[in-house]
Amino acid sequence: MAEIVAIDAERLAQDRAALARALSAVAGGDRAAFEDVYRRTSAKLFGVCLRILPERQEAEEALQEAYISVWRRADTFDAAHGTAMTWLMTIARNRAVDRLRRGGKIATAPIEAAEDVADPTPAATDLVARSQDEQRLHHCLGMLPAGEAGFVRTAFLEGSSYSELAARSGVPLGTVKSRMRRALAKLRLCLQ
Amino acid sequence: MSASTALPEEDELIAAELALGLLAADERAAAEARLTEPAFRAAHARWQHYAVGMIAGGEEPPRPSIWAAIEARLPGNDAASGAGSSPLRWWQASTALASIAAVLLGAIALRPTPTPVIVAAPPPPRPAAALVAVLVGDKDNGAIAVSYDPASDRLILTPTRLAIGKRDAELWVIGGDAKPRSLGVIPAGEIAKRNPGIDLAKRIVAGATLAVSAEPIGGSPTGQPTGPVLYVGKISAT
Repeated sequence: MAEIVAIDAERLAQDRAALARALSAVAGGDRAAFEDVYRRTSAKLFGVCLRILPERQEAEEALQEAYISVWRRADTFDAAHGTAMTWLMTIARNRAVDRLRRGGKIATAPIEAAEDVADPTPAATDLVARSQDEQRLHHCLGMLPAGEAGFVRTAFLEGSSYSELAARSGVPLGTVKSRMRRALAKLRLCLQ
Repeated sequence: MSASTALPEEDELIAAELALGLLAADERAAAEARLTEPAFRAAHARWQHYAVGMIAGGEEPPRPSIWAAIEARLPGNDAASGAGSSPLRWWQASTALASIAAVLLGAIALRPTPTPVIVAAPPPPRPAAALVAVLVGDKDNGAIAVSYDPASDRLILTPTRLAIGKRDAELWVIGGDAKPRSLGVIPAGEIAKRNPGIDLAKRIVAGATLAVSAEPIGGSPTGQPTGPVLYVGKISAT
């Protein structure tokens, strides 16, 4: 089992502030700051792309598209409404989902068993550094009934809407919505 | 994390559904409209954070050539990349429009009719070079003649025929940084006169691009173009 170490909260706060500053400099066209943002975040964003796009080359393309979006839209980042890392990862997820859905295949693909889509298990010798935030999220996902965390996660990884989830699984729309909302409500309670 | 806000559970769930991309188009639009409410916005931000937290993991530094490819694709670096095509900016996507604009600009200064009505302004202390552009659309959609006088900060648009349907036409100036900046909505069929103001005026220079996009009534809700390009042209000095 991987050891989980707590990230020093102060160090985390400093890193967050530095990233937010670099991103705001990117908004002003600062290329050195853009490279700084890339160095700080590309491993995480690439991880997201790889989870969404099975082919490595596709993931690499999506990553490029994500950073081009970051360059173009850095002035839309609002530090009052979320961290820079969340903003960046959301862009990476969105570009990867765009790419995934481009062929149109996913809209009719059968839904994988939700249980299969779990967190990648870190190798036993890895130290997994997690902030308190991340630890709490993983704890709460683990508290959901079997299959539910995968259900929520898969929907987000594949960019599926309620109607698509219903169509792909052959389950009525209302049922899909209730299931998702139950899971989200439980998550909310745990995360408060 | 701080204690929960007073947001009712239903609203919290909608914020989550919006962040997770679960909503159908009309429900999504309704939820997005609520992002102006502070508590809803805060809940949405929180769920975006949870959402990416759920899919994080498998971190891996990309190959060094990926950064090189990104750098090459940044606006201004496109000429240096050499390998493969650079992504077209949205206003260049219609290459037919861009090339027509280049040809016409040489042949036409301003369309004579209807005659623009220019409100008399005090003569500028020094003559400053006026700038013009002809924004060209698809064959039957006419064109928009634009003139700009830097000395008086007066921008005049003379549309001949705007085929826009039930939307508004919004004018954008795009400079070397490839970021469209709005010069406002153009009333169809009328001559538009405006003073862009200092910040925008400095971007209205020879070589910059002007483009008109179709937007919802009242203009783009996002501050960036959301609709298709209808007219495009480059600014040149007279």
